[in-house]
Parts: sequence; C-alpha cells; structure tokens
Amino acid sequence: MKQRLTATAIALAACLAALAGEDSPTAVDSVAPDTPNLITEKMMNDKQVTNPLEAINGRVAGLTITRGNNGVAAMQAVRVRGTTSLTGGNDPLIIIDGVMGDLRTLSSVYPADIESFNVLKDATQTAQYGSRGASGVIEVTTKKGATGRATVTYNGSYGFSRVAKNLKMLDADGYRRAVDERGLMLIDLGANTNWQRVLEQTGWQHDHHLAFAGGGKDNGYRVALGFMDHNGVIVHEKMRNFTSNMSMYQNMFHERLKVELGMFGNVLKENTAIYDTQKTFYSAAAFNPTFPAAKNATGGYDGFTYANQINHPLALMDSRTADKTTHLSTHARLTFNAGHGLSVSAFGAYSHNEVQRDQYLPTTIWANGQAYRGTDKTESLLGNITLNYKVTTGLHNVDLLALAEAQRDTYSGFCTTTTNFNNNDLGFYTIQAGALSLWEGTRSYRHRPTMTAFMGRATWEYAGRYAITATARADGSSKFAASHKWGFFPSISGAWTLSREAFMRRATWLDNLKLTAGVGLAGNQGGIDNYASMYMVQPMGVVPVGVNMAVALAEARNANPYLKWEVRRTFNVGLEASLLKGRLLANVTYYTSKTRDMLYNYTVPTPPFTYGTLLANLGAMSNSGAEFSLGITPVATRDWELNINANLTYQHNKLLSLSGNYHGYDITAPQYVAIASLNGAGFHGGNNNIVYQIVGQPLGVFYLPHCTGLVDDGNGNLEYAIADLDGNGVIDIEDGKDRRVCGQAVPKLLLGSNISLRFRQWDLSVQINGAFGHKVYNGTALTYMNMESLPGYNVLAEAPRHRIADQTATDYWLERGDYANIDYVTIGWNVPLPKGKAVSRLRLSLTVNNLATITGYSGLTPMINSSNVNATLGVDDKRSYPVSRSCALGVAITF
Amino acid sequence: MKPYHFFFLLMGALTLTSCNEFLKEDPKEILPASDTFENDNDLYLNGVAALYLNVGGFNDSEGLQGTRRGVWDLNTFTTDEAIVPTRGTDWLDGGFWQGLFTHNWGTENSAINDTWSYLYRSILRCNVSLERMKNYTETTGTDVSGYRDEVRALRALFYFYALDLYGRVPVFTSPDPDNDQLSPRPRSEVFDFVRRELLETVPRLARDRSNHVGTYYSRMTQGVGYFLLAKLALNAEVYCHDNWTSTPRPDGKQIIWHIGDTTCDTWQAVSYFCDRLYQLGYRLEDHFENNFLVKNENSIENVFTIPMDKQLYTNQFTNMFRSRHYNHAAAIGLNGENGPCATIEALKAFGLGTQAQDARFNLTYYAGPVNDLKGNPVLLDDGTPLIYEPWQVKLDLSSSPYEKTAGARMKKYAIDLVATKDGNQSDNDIVLFRYADALLMQAEALLRDMGPNETSTALVNQVRTRAGMPALDNVTLDDLLDERLRELAWEGWRRNDMVRYGTFNRAYTDHPADPDNHTIVFPIPAIFLNLTAAPQNPGY
Repeated sequence: MKQRLTATAIALAACLAALAGEDSPTAVDSVAPDTPNLITEKMMNDKQVTNPLEAINGRVAGLTITRGNNGVAAMQAVRVRGTTSLTGGNDPLIIIDGVMGDLRTLSSVYPADIESFNVLKDATQTAQYGSRGASGVIEVTTKKGATGRATVTYNGSYGFSRVAKNLKMLDADGYRRAVDERGLMLIDLGANTNWQRVLEQTGWQHDHHLAFAGGGKDNGYRVALGFMDHNGVIVHEKMRNFTSNMSMYQNMFHERLKVELGMFGNVLKENTAIYDTQKTFYSAAAFNPTFPAAKNATGGYDGFTYANQINHPLALMDSRTADKTTHLSTHARLTFNAGHGLSVSAFGAYSHNEVQRDQYLPTTIWANGQAYRGTDKTESLLGNITLNYKVTTGLHNVDLLALAEAQRDTYSGFCTTTTNFNNNDLGFYTIQAGALSLWEGTRSYRHRPTMTAFMGRATWEYAGRYAITATARADGSSKFAASHKWGFFPSISGAWTLSREAFMRRATWLDNLKLTAGVGLAGNQGGIDNYASMYMVQPMGVVPVGVNMAVALAEARNANPYLKWEVRRTFNVGLEASLLKGRLLANVTYYTSKTRDMLYNYTVPTPPFTYGTLLANLGAMSNSGAEFSLGITPVATRDWELNINANLTYQHNKLLSLSGNYHGYDITAPQYVAIASLNGAGFHGGNNNIVYQIVGQPLGVFYLPHCTGLVDDGNGNLEYAIADLDGNGVIDIEDGKDRRVCGQAVPKLLLGSNISLRFRQWDLSVQINGAFGHKVYNGTALTYMNMESLPGYNVLAEAPRHRIADQTATDYWLERGDYANIDYVTIGWNVPLPKGKAVSRLRLSLTVNNLATITGYSGLTPMINSSNVNATLGVDDKRSYPVSRSCALGVAITF
Repeated sequence: MKPYHFFFLLMGALTLTSCNEFLKEDPKEILPASDTFENDNDLYLNGVAALYLNVGGFNDSEGLQGTRRGVWDLNTFTTDEAIVPTRGTDWLDGGFWQGLFTHNWGTENSAINDTWSYLYRSILRCNVSLERMKNYTETTGTDVSGYRDEVRALRALFYFYALDLYGRVPVFTSPDPDNDQLSPRPRSEVFDFVRRELLETVPRLARDRSNHVGTYYSRMTQGVGYFLLAKLALNAEVYCHDNWTSTPRPDGKQIIWHIGDTTCDTWQAVSYFCDRLYQLGYRLEDHFENNFLVKNENSIENVFTIPMDKQLYTNQFTNMFRSRHYNHAAAIGLNGENGPCATIEALKAFGLGTQAQDARFNLTYYAGPVNDLKGNPVLLDDGTPLIYEPWQVKLDLSSSPYEKTAGARMKKYAIDLVATKDGNQSDNDIVLFRYADALLMQAEALLRDMGPNETSTALVNQVRTRAGMPALDNVTLDDLLDERLRELAWEGWRRNDMVRYGTFNRAYTDHPADPDNHTIVFPIPAIFLNLTAAPQNPGY
C-alpha cells in the first residue's frame, strides 16, 4: 500500500509540475544487469570523428548506422535492430545527459565532450523511456568535472577531403562522335568540360575543442567550447558549428543532497548550392560536355533545351540554401538521499531548437526565380520524479523504483515564398524583390503534443547469480483518440550468471558467463501527426464569393476516431562470456519482435473514405535477428597490444499484414505498393517503380520484370528482352503481370570490425564495416547507358560500345549490394613526456577516412540508403554524391 | 479507512483527471469541423463554395481539366484527336502515354485509379455538406434549400463524369456509405440517378451566368445544369447500355424523358435543353478566339469555366505548358515540356495543307515556324529555326529526325505573359462547357432523330460561319463528328464523342483496331472492388 501511495504522490507532483509549465523528466539510474553495449571513450573509434555517431559506427551489434552520403553535415539513418514501424519513429531515442534529443541534436555535440554511449535494445532496457524508446535508445553521457587537479584539454584536427571517384561519362570528343554517328542534332560549343569536376573542390576542414575541468571535494565543473569549420567536396558547401557545453555538480549536507546542472548550446550554419541532390548530380553527369564551364557573352548560361530535366550545372550552383540551427538545452537534477537506501530525484529539462532556412532559386534554373524564408521552432519541456529504494538482506538485493513523468513539446513555425524576380542579386535577403506572393506560399503552424507516464520497476538479485527485473509502465499520449490515449506496457527480464555457480568453479579459465532473457511490450507513437483522431478542417484554398474572395475550410485528410497505440512484443535471449582474464569476450543474442496494431497511413478506397490514405492500426510486421560480437586480445605485453573486435548482425524482417477490418469496412491493402521509383527524363509515372512493399515479404523488396538478355531492336541497337513471366503470351510489365520479387533492399547481414595494434607509444587502428545479402538497383547505369538519351543527356563512356537504346526498368541493372568498407585507418603517437611538466599528455594522429570499398557493385558506391523506408530505398538513381576520401591530422594536448 | 488514506485516494483520482486534461489535444492552427457551419456565411463558404475547389486543381489526376493524368487526359489522349508521342527518353514515362493511345491500360493504372478517387472524393464532400446543411436546418430552422439544390447539382456533375468514364459505379448520397450502398449499380441506374437529380434541382438554380464575375461566378447555375442535361440526353443510348460488351445498344427514341409536364424521347430532350440555354441568353461570340483570352470572363458563349487567377487560386492549366517546344516556351518567357500534339486524323479533319483548310487550324495549333514576342523566329539550340512538322507525328518518334519537332502544338488559349509556375498558373479561365457545343449537340440530336434535315445543317453552319468557314450542305452525322473535332479540339469531349459514334475502337494511325469494345469505359480500381466484392467492368 505504501508503495502505491507514494507512486501516486509522485504522479501528482509530476502532473502539477507539468501543468504549471515547470516540467521535468527522464533518466533513471540503470540497475539492469550490466550492459554489454556500453561504449566508453576508450572503445570509441579514435579517428578524428566530427559526428558522434561515427564514434560508435560498427562498434555495437544490432546498431546500424548508414552514413548519409550527402555532404558536410550528413545525416545518418540509425536503426537499432532494424525497422520495426512503417510510420516512422524508427530512429532511436537519443538521451544526452538525461535530456531528450534527436539525431540532429546528437550530431551537433562535439565528440570530444562525450564520455560514453549506452545502446539500449530490448524492452526491459528501454522500458524507462517508454514509447519514445520503442526503437531503441542511445544514452550519451558527456564528460563531467571531477575532484582533483584542474585540467585543460585541447583537441584539434586539420585536414581535407577530396573526391575519389566519379562516373565516367563521354568526354566532348566521344560525345560529338556518338551524336554524329546517330545523326542527331549536335550542339557543339567547342569546349571539353567534365562537369562533375567543375562542381568539385578540395574541402578543407579544421576543428578545435577546448575543455576546462576541475573540482573540489564536494563539487566539480567542466566547460567546453568547440568550433568546427568544414568545406564540402562540392563547391559552396560549407558547415560551421560552434558548441558550448557546461556542467557542474555540488554535494551538500554531507552528501545527502546532490545538485547537478548542465547547459548545452550550439549554432550550426550550413550553406549549400544543392537544393535538389538528384538534379545537381544528374546535371553534372549528363550535361552536354562541349559547353564551356563559364557564362556566355551576354552574362547568362547557355541552355540546352533538349535536356529539360537537367540544368547548366553552373546555373544550379548559383542557387543558395542556408540553414541556421540554434539549439539550447538546460537541465537540472536534484537527488536527495534519505538514507536507508531510499532516494528521491527530481529532474527537469528545457530545450529550444530553431532552424531558419533561407533559399533562393535564381531565374536561370527556376522560371521567374523563387525566394523562401522560413523558421521552424521546437521547444521541449520535460520533468520527472523518481523514487528509489535499495535494500540488501543477506544474499538478497532488492531495488525498487517508481517514476512519474510528463513532457510537452511545442512545434511552431512560419514561412513565406515569393516569386517573379527581375534580377538575381538580392536573393533571399530581400524577398520583396519578388513581384508575386502566391496564396499557398505563406504558411504558419503550431502544435503541442503531450505525453505522460508512470512506471514501477522492481529488481531482485540473489547471490550475484540470479537477477530478475520486472517493469510496469503506463504511457499516455495526446495524439491518440480520447478513449485510447493510454497504453500499458509491462516487461520482465532475467539474468543467470552461470560462472558463479558452484559447478562452474573449476572452470578457472572462465571469468564470466551470463545468460539473459527478456520479454516485454513496447508502445510506439513516433512519427504520427497530431489531431489524427479528430474531425478537423483547415484552409484549403481561395474561392470567389460573389466579387470577393474568401478562404474556404475543409477536411484535408481522413480522421480516425479509433486511433490507438502501436504495440511491439519483443523477446530476447543472450549469452555473454569473458574468458582468459578478459582476453576473449564473446556475446550472442537472439531476438524476435512482432509489431501489431501497426500505425501506418493505409491505402484505403475512395469511397467510402474521402482521401486515399488513413492513419490506422491494422497491419503487423515481424523482425528477428541474431547478434554476435567478439573481442580478442591475442597479444598484450608492455610493448605490444593487439585488439580485434568484430560484430555481426543478422536481421530478418517480414511484413505480415496491411489489411484488417476498420469498423465495418474490410480494408484490403493493394498487393503491390511502390516505395521507390526512378526519376528523370522518360521516367515520369508508368512502370518505373523499383522497390515495393509486399505483404509476406521483407520491407522493401525489388519487384521487377525479368530481363533475359539484350536483343536487337531492328535498328541496329539493343533493347532489354523481357520474359513473359505469367506465360500469357503478352509482355505486360504492369504490377501483377510480368514482374517478380527478386531481392531485398535491406542488408541481411551487417559487419562491424575494428583492429587496433599498439607498439609502445605508437598505435594503429583500422575500422572495417560491411553489409551483405541485399541488392542495389543501378538506375544510374540504366539511365546513362541508354543511347536514346542523346543528344540531350550525355551517356557513360562505355555506352556507345554497348549500343543499348532502351531504358525499360528490368532486373538487368539489379546488382548485389554486398560491400566491405574500410571506414578509416588511424596512426597515432602518444608523445612520451617527462613527468611533472605542464603538459601531461600529447597525442598526434593521422587518419584517412573512407579509404576503400571492396564491392562487386558497378556503380559509384553501394552505400546508398538501405534502411530508411522512403523514395530512395535501394535505388541508386543519379543522386549519389561523388565518393570522397578525407585525411586529417589530429592533435590532443592535456595540461 | 483512515482519513489520510482517503486523502491519497482523492489526490490519486485528481491526478488521473488532470493527466487526462494534460493529454487533451487543443488545436490552434486548425478547427473542429463542427465550428465551420455555425452561421449562414460559414455554411455557404465551407459548405458550398469550398466544394468548387474540386472542379479545378493542381495535383495530378485532380480537377476536371488543367492538371495532368486526370479526367481531361483520359478523355483526350485515348482518342484520334491528340497524341503524346514518345520523343527519345522524353514522354516515354514507362509506356503510360503509348498505353493510353493504343488503349492498353490495365487495372493497376494509377492515373485511372486516382481519377476515380478524385471524382468520389468530390462526391463524398458534397454528401458531407448536404448532411451538415440538414443538421443546420434542423437545429436553427433556417431554410437553406437553395444551397442544397446547388450542391446536389454539383454532385450530379461529378457523378456524370464517373458515369461517363467508369460505366458501372456506386451511387450513394450518404457521407458514410455502407457496404451495400457502395456496390456498383448498372449503368442505366446511374444515368437515372444523375438525370433525376438534375431535373429536380436545375430549374430551381439561379438563372445568372456562371462564367461572368459576380455572385454566381464559377458556380452551378441553370445554364450549367441544362448544358449537362443536354450532354446526358445526347449520350443516353450509351449510358443506358448496361451490357455494352455483349448486347446491342438501346434506341434513343425508346429512352423517355419527363421534363416538367413534357414527355419526350432523348433526342427531343437534347433540343429542349439546348433551347433553354438560348433562352438564358447564351450566344456564339463573334470571334472563336474570344472564348480563350487571358481575360475571358466576359464571353457570352462560355457556359462553365474553371476560374483562374494566379494571385488567388491554386488551379493550374498544364495543357499548353506540356505541348510547347522548349525553345518556343522559352522565347515567350515560360517553360514547356514539348509533348502532346495533333494526330494525323486531326490534321486531316482540319484539311491541313488543302484548299479547304479550316480557319480554326491556325487558332487551335502551332504548325510550321513560330515567332517569339518580338516577331523573330524561334530558334533551336543549334541556331536553326524551330519548325513544327505536323505530318511527321507518330506514336514513337525516337531516333526520327523530327523527334523533338514533330506535331502541331496546342495554341487555343491566349498566352498569359506573366503566368507563373512554369506558365501553368495563367489567368485564362479554363473552358469546360461552351455554347457552340450546345449548337452542335442540338444538330446531332435532330440528325439522330430524323436523319439529315435543314435545322441541323443551319445549326452546324452557325458554328462554321462564325469561324469564317463556308456553309455546308446537307450535314450528315459524319460531317458533324468532324465538325466537333474542329470546333472543340482539346476541350475534353473527343472520347465521349467517339464512344457515342461507335468509332472509339476503330483503327486509325498508330492505333490498331481494338479486339472488342470493353475499353469504352475504364476499369474500376481493384482496391475499391476488394471492399465490396463487386465484379470488375466486363473485359478487364
């Protein structure tokens, strides 16, 4: 009774705090069995990382980090144990010192400020974060001050990146010859321009980071300032990031009360001339190579109107997109230790994130020009109160915890667009230089979702051998229907340390052997819109009302008054072992999960539904996988040390159903739902869909006509011969006809490995990551091999030899996507320093990133989007950045 | 129970209540639907005027005309009037356009499915409005029957297009149709429903002109309703033909109409409705091209238009943009996609290059060399003049020397030099219904009723002489079909005309004869059929 009442009191306090707008939540001390997924600084990738995620890439089994191949501030797609939801909310939750953030927030943290990462994967581990942690959690702990001598640390790196690989298109002579041979109109301006090179530059970069830390007996502080300045490999691409991170703590009343405070802020400025990645790289590859890389005599760019899907690449480079992100977050925690194992902790955090986007598309690439300015702002308030009671009686350890929390996010923003510019000089600084403001060009919004939760957790441990943790959690979200706002998600897990059993005593070579298992439910609501359960109207357009004009309101989507939580049931079992005094570490985990009541914008028929999609809870999906990790230290002497770490993740996903009964209507999903298709000249609509979502198959499969080979088309050219798969005597490549499933876009097997070797003060580290078992559609080759694209679009240098005059999308260009990539090689030297001098540590290092890719894939790179279920999944379609390689010299000094 | 226990229980209950309050959504940027029908003004604005947003559009497959891959494309590029040739990689688009021209479309064609969804979305929104009006009248006692008539007539317009394009379609008047109501009805039942709704509501609509700026601008008025009734009556044989792939078509003389106190057959009904248009004051403009000016709101001939104003509306008109050659468009400061053009059959109907070349050819198409705004010839990138080659058109022009220049291009609408969105947002109102069509419909009805006759000839000659063409003697049904092509080219009626004439499935240039006539209607989307377990249209 007492426990329950206390929990109620906590809940009350949290709600009152939330209502008063002084929220607080998150982060409970983990009492779960020690986690094999904790990555301390020592285990992080020690190359000169600029994005924190790179520090753990390949280091944790089951954690997939796909580097966004898109410029200086590349965003990564991060998945913990695969994609489990169709709607979104697949990104893991990022917790930085207890404050919730997202991948973007994390990427703005200076890596040198990070003390450790903790990756939480199964239901019991993520339970404390509830639905927000449904797709896994990455906890980031930043460095704190500590008792002892004050230190000053400087980290710096200086380097550059350069393009290592481009597409080999026809040069000007080859282009002239090919156009002439085919009797086409040749527009020859006499130059020989490699447009890809024209857009490229050497991207110089330098980073600096300064940290001060210190502390007394009862307090500590740390202040860090960082600055990054990166130029991309594409001209005008630039990223600058200023960060500051401050933290302090104070113990009071004989350590009865601990106060912790922290503040993090950064300003990130990104500039680019790329407003449409595909357009830029499509133009750079395919634009007429006889055109000079300069303006013409009249100050404009020579156009080539036959190539109306692409632009003069230099004209594209005249566009400007500037994003400025301002982020501030603060948090505070009070922990009161009441004695006898009882403690109470209150936590509050506020964060403010504002992205200002300015964009100008000049008249040379956008009819009449267009300027855009807009701001998107996110404010988040969260607070929680936890009550913790720990007691040890004999061999029994009991740990009880109650948590209440509330969170409120406010999203708001506005933007305006003007068009019809007379000159391109003013750009987005003076949007009134545009003559026309379209009605649909100005918008604003504001919405404020809330969440609240109560959780109780009990852990019982006996004799250091057996541990059981049970968690019960109720989550409430504002986004669901009035009667379905709450979900209940219990979980239970256990651990058995076999190595401490009497019967294992004789195995002295075994340091630790532990069996763990857990089952649980997790709720998900990530990625869904607000108000989806309500019948709401919004401005739809201007209508004449007599001689006046008025804005009419109407429903813009189907409402679902029954909307509820998506639930994922997970099961995991694992074995971890440590042998030979830690020389050999091994870990095996198997997991399965099944997502039910899957939130998704289902395709529904009109009528009875007004719109073609409905956010509902109908389908189901399953995920399963196995994770293996191995760490070996074959040599460890005073002079020599060799560490080999490798992890393998096998993942399997299956879309079980997209159908169901929605309140009287039997909704049957279309059998074939296209996810990704080809774009560009000749690819508008029609049968150009490549990757599909098909029930009974993994998410994202290739569903294509089968090409039996190249055959003569009667004009001396070759075309793709298509098999009559359905045997009806007619070739019809529409869905459901002559097509078949022929591979998946998501890798089946992922590899992360690191080899590090130390010899006295010298060290060498090599990171190799890989992905296997998936395919990549080479839409780039399909497009650029088609001789019919001439003269408007240039073709690959090898294209004339192959004589293909066809761009029907078949499995001809479906290739294996397997690769192993040498992410980096670092050589470091810890300069020996005499003891007692001002400088206590000096390290120099040299890193080469993205050294080589071992692959059979014929295109630029197989490392394209292979995890995000969106319009680019699995399709290499003229949008790949050139492959670049970077080199950096690093210095770390501690005073 | 001790007092403090009670206290905690109470606090616990309060906590849960306040949490539920905390989780309640409180939208600021959108409104509950119930708030939008609170007074007569709101009722009109959100219950009536808002529905007209569905007549035009800017997304693919939405709007009756002006967008891509929608009603207009399905009615135009499937016929002998206009073609979208493949020009190398341009307009290949996975065979979509070739499929339309050769009548090879399957049941998974997204343009056909999306057009269905657009029409039924419009119908459902009408039903929602009517339901809310009913509730409004019940709660406030206000009579809004005028609005109800207008919305019912507008709904009939959307049903008309569904009937024409898809044949067997569901008919329902509820905002939440149940499975029974969703079951597709025989084509003749759909016809009866549309006829009943229009006959009941049209006489009560305003007599004002819909195409003139004013209170009734772009709304359903009597003129629009009578034009629609005339179309319905003219095609009644087709629409009453329930088994179009297997049985003979019914005879129009046996299709009886009851209009007020009058009883007549369907051909007489056409005449009746066209006469009503005359009585309402619709006349031919002195000049054909006046109907398509940038400011064409004063036309006395246009009956129903999609309002266009780039500053105000989001409606777009892509037909000219898609047709113009890149350099031609650039020469007038706009963009083009170098696509659709006239077919060989259309060129022949216009008598291109003959002594008797129709005067409307040069008002309808660009052919041969073209000039920019200053009167200089438009040049290709290699400096040679752009010359449109009408006769070189074929379904696949790839590798032809005329790949990019073959075909006569659409010219019908005056160029709005300050058009935006690549030239797709211009100020010319898009003409949906036009009085010249009514004259030709009346002539056709009389011909079908009594064979060649003087009235029909006179009606057709009214249209011809307005265009500056010599009068014809003794007009036949075949003459009339050609005349309709010349007068109404690119106005979205060709498929309807060919189906009625039974020529939709015949062979013509680049279009081999269809093996049967099942393609005179499009297939019903599979996802919809799954819901009701109803049969697909025959032949698919």
